[in-house]
Amino acid sequence: MVTVVFRPEEKRVEVPPGTLLSDAARLAGVDILMPCGGQGRCGRCAVVVESGSVRRRSTQRLTPDDIAAGYALACQTLVESDVVVFVPPQERIERRIKETKRAAKIELPFPYDRHDQPLRKFAVTLEPPSLADQTDDWSRLQREMARRYGIRNLQASLPVLRKLPRALREGDWTVTAVVELDAWDRPEGPPRLIDVLPGEHLESLWAVAIDIGTTSNVVWLVDLMRGQVIAQAADYNGQIARGEDVISRIIYASKGNGLQELQELVMGTLNRLIAQVAAEQNIRPDEIYKATVAGNTTMIHLFAGIPPESIRLMPFIPVVNQVPTFPAREIGLGINPEGTVDCLPGIASYVGADITAGVLSSGLCDSDELTLFIDVGTNGEMVLGDCSWLISCACSAGPAFEGAGVVHGMRATAGAIEEVWINPETYEATYKVIGDERPRGICGSGLISLLAEMFITGVVDKSGNINLDLPTKRVRRGEHGPEYVVAWADETATGRDIVITAVDIDNLMRAKAAIYAGFSVLARSVGLTLQDVQRVLIGGAFGQYINVEKAIQIGMLPDMPYDRFHFLGNTSVRGAYYALVSREMRRRVTEVGRMMTYLELSADNTFFDEFNAALFLPHTDLSQFPSVAALVGEG
Amino acid sequence: MPVEIPVEQWPGRVIEETLGATPAEGGTRSRVVKVGGENTLPFMLTDGEMPNPPRIAIEILDQRPKDWSPLLLEAWGDVVDDPAKWAKAAEEAGADLVLLQLSLTRDGGKPTTAADAKALTRAVLQATGLPILVFGPGQVDADNELLVAVAEEAAGERIVLGICEEKNYRTIVAAALANGHLVNGRTAMDVNLAKQLNILIADMGLPLDRIIMDPTTASLGYGIEYGYSVMERLRLAALQGDKMTQLPMLVTPGFEAWRQKEAKVGEGVPASWGDWRQRAVLWETLTATNLILSGADIVVLRHPETVKRVRAFIDRMMAK
Repeated sequence: MVTVVFRPEEKRVEVPPGTLLSDAARLAGVDILMPCGGQGRCGRCAVVVESGSVRRRSTQRLTPDDIAAGYALACQTLVESDVVVFVPPQERIERRIKETKRAAKIELPFPYDRHDQPLRKFAVTLEPPSLADQTDDWSRLQREMARRYGIRNLQASLPVLRKLPRALREGDWTVTAVVELDAWDRPEGPPRLIDVLPGEHLESLWAVAIDIGTTSNVVWLVDLMRGQVIAQAADYNGQIARGEDVISRIIYASKGNGLQELQELVMGTLNRLIAQVAAEQNIRPDEIYKATVAGNTTMIHLFAGIPPESIRLMPFIPVVNQVPTFPAREIGLGINPEGTVDCLPGIASYVGADITAGVLSSGLCDSDELTLFIDVGTNGEMVLGDCSWLISCACSAGPAFEGAGVVHGMRATAGAIEEVWINPETYEATYKVIGDERPRGICGSGLISLLAEMFITGVVDKSGNINLDLPTKRVRRGEHGPEYVVAWADETATGRDIVITAVDIDNLMRAKAAIYAGFSVLARSVGLTLQDVQRVLIGGAFGQYINVEKAIQIGMLPDMPYDRFHFLGNTSVRGAYYALVSREMRRRVTEVGRMMTYLELSADNTFFDEFNAALFLPHTDLSQFPSVAALVGEG
Repeated sequence: MPVEIPVEQWPGRVIEETLGATPAEGGTRSRVVKVGGENTLPFMLTDGEMPNPPRIAIEILDQRPKDWSPLLLEAWGDVVDDPAKWAKAAEEAGADLVLLQLSLTRDGGKPTTAADAKALTRAVLQATGLPILVFGPGQVDADNELLVAVAEEAAGERIVLGICEEKNYRTIVAAALANGHLVNGRTAMDVNLAKQLNILIADMGLPLDRIIMDPTTASLGYGIEYGYSVMERLRLAALQGDKMTQLPMLVTPGFEAWRQKEAKVGEGVPASWGDWRQRAVLWETLTATNLILSGADIVVLRHPETVKRVRAFIDRMMAK
């Protein structure tokens, strides 16, 4: 017999060698949660072996660092000698799981140089006019800017000129000129006077980076003096009420004054966000002098008020891939009306500026490693390539992973079930809710986790059909056909059962199949296989919360070691930020746009085949998913 | 100059399956019928072997057909009023197998009951010594109820139960498992879907040598190219070693051909179409022979004259 001591409770128990730590814990009266029923799948029973010898039967869910630190899964670890085990508090485990399975942010990958971006502030003091020097105000300013700063041929619009006399005189002939030396579509200038302020105001210089997603909009307030993001705000796109996906928005825009309405709605959202970040820094929105904008092609069209109809119709051509630079006043964007709006370049109707921004900010184009970049969103855009070539496609995954098209789906906010475990013996579900509240629904990551668990435990077959013969009340025939009860009414915030229906599962299956089929077709189009991919970069706000293991189990992501996956969060707004703060980045994103090949899947006859093959758990060709095959005992 | 004929050697082989059981094997069939087992494309006997020729099943209904062409009714005569007599006539007409198709309702519109299904199965088993296939009406609840009864009634006979589909296979497969039968699974003209259903059925524990796949096809002139191509791709995958496609294929050219106006009706069609009787039988025959060339191991036919012609075709193709 050997002795197992469980700290911090200092409970001890004698067991024969070869006993599972989880059994020893039960005998010792130590409570260790095992939501997956002791299958080694959820990682929630992780403990720290402080001394003694153990054998880990499975280290799934543990990283090499974890193991080095003594972590072991109680349900998978056999004691071999006297051991001392520390049982960490539950919330520590959760945090650890989150940190190892989900990724971190990327910093600005280059040193900031404020002279490598075109927006400047110049303090300038003019000789006051006199009867002897009767030069007009504007020429006087131009003359001094040229003399003092070498800025020639300064241009100004009428609204700025109207401000000039008062600023000069209020500032007693000392003013701060906000000048944009060049812009995206006029890299050689001429410089343009955007604002003129009485006195000297050189402390800060504000601009915003904007991402217009179909679902959410993000604004980053950037101080161009330091190059840093000072404030962030995000909210749902006000257009959602007029359609969940781009196609329904395009249709809405084509009716009556739908286009104008949609533009006003998104402008409403953005202006509220801009006002919010401005208020946080105690500045006025008109002190923000520039906006750099990324977004999918439809969103950019609607933002600029350009009719998007042609995006939807064969042969799927946008009006413009890169909108020329224009002042904010032309569209009512709530920054300084003379401030420049730069939209990043898109590639095609369904691979937009959000993707070029993503490629730029993810570093895909800086490495010679074969990289797959995917923006997990409604449109499921993806890019394969390295520093010398890029190919992209978009597979309409639908909004299922964003909670739409699923009866109890919701976005990833408080009250959303974000992870589920199903006990393989009893088919009982345990779940984790964002904000530790009573659940109100299931978000995208929860749906992936739920589908994976239902598959692994046999609640659904490989086609996703719910097995109604299981001995549990959780499977039943509901008003939408077969369904599985994730949370009973008395556990939920709504007082109603939270279920996943056969129809929901079909939608999820189609979404994941579209994404994987996209990968397959992209790889095949260049004569490679997914096994050749060295890095997978996952962007998109929802992408941050995907559990790779579960996403592989359902066959949504290719089966490869977890350390090849990197989560980047919102790569679109980050790309806009890079392009805002650096001319070099602005140049590079244009180049990304030029070098990327676009594969139109509707013109590709292998997509449908690949889609049907992927419409199975994990895939019709199980050999593409060796880790899942091993898990379900078919390895 | 001597010409060397290139030989294509395939690493894979279609599983050989046995339909029916003799008294020695626990059934009452006068003989068993083997299907599949080939390791070459159809009739490429220089490349490999085809131990079993394609088999012919004749489809009979559990009652006088309501929407069949008058040509078929004329060909069979009064036996169509009695499934037992029809089964016997089918055997005499040269069938290898008899397929009993159950209907949703009986005379007077009453639903077909489990007891009806049992009695019909028993009657057909007694009337013919050939292995049989029994297909449900194609409506989920009725299929499950009737086929379970059929499976129990025919326990030990190694009959083929059909039709399993992706959304409804569990009950039928369980009944086959419990009573020693085979199942037929149908999918909608797609290689991956066919393979998926095979996997689903096999996942329930039914050995692969008790699963037949029906990739669905179409009649001559109505998309047979598509069905042909899917079957050809399935067979190529099987020969290349893809285990989950190495199952014999059953198709229903009789059903497909006879629902098209070229076969079904003799009036209101252009005179240039020629003699109806000849055309109808040719339509079914050509549909069937094409599908055999794309890899079908069992063709389900309707007209006795077609059976003769398809049999002659198979014999000629199998001759060394």
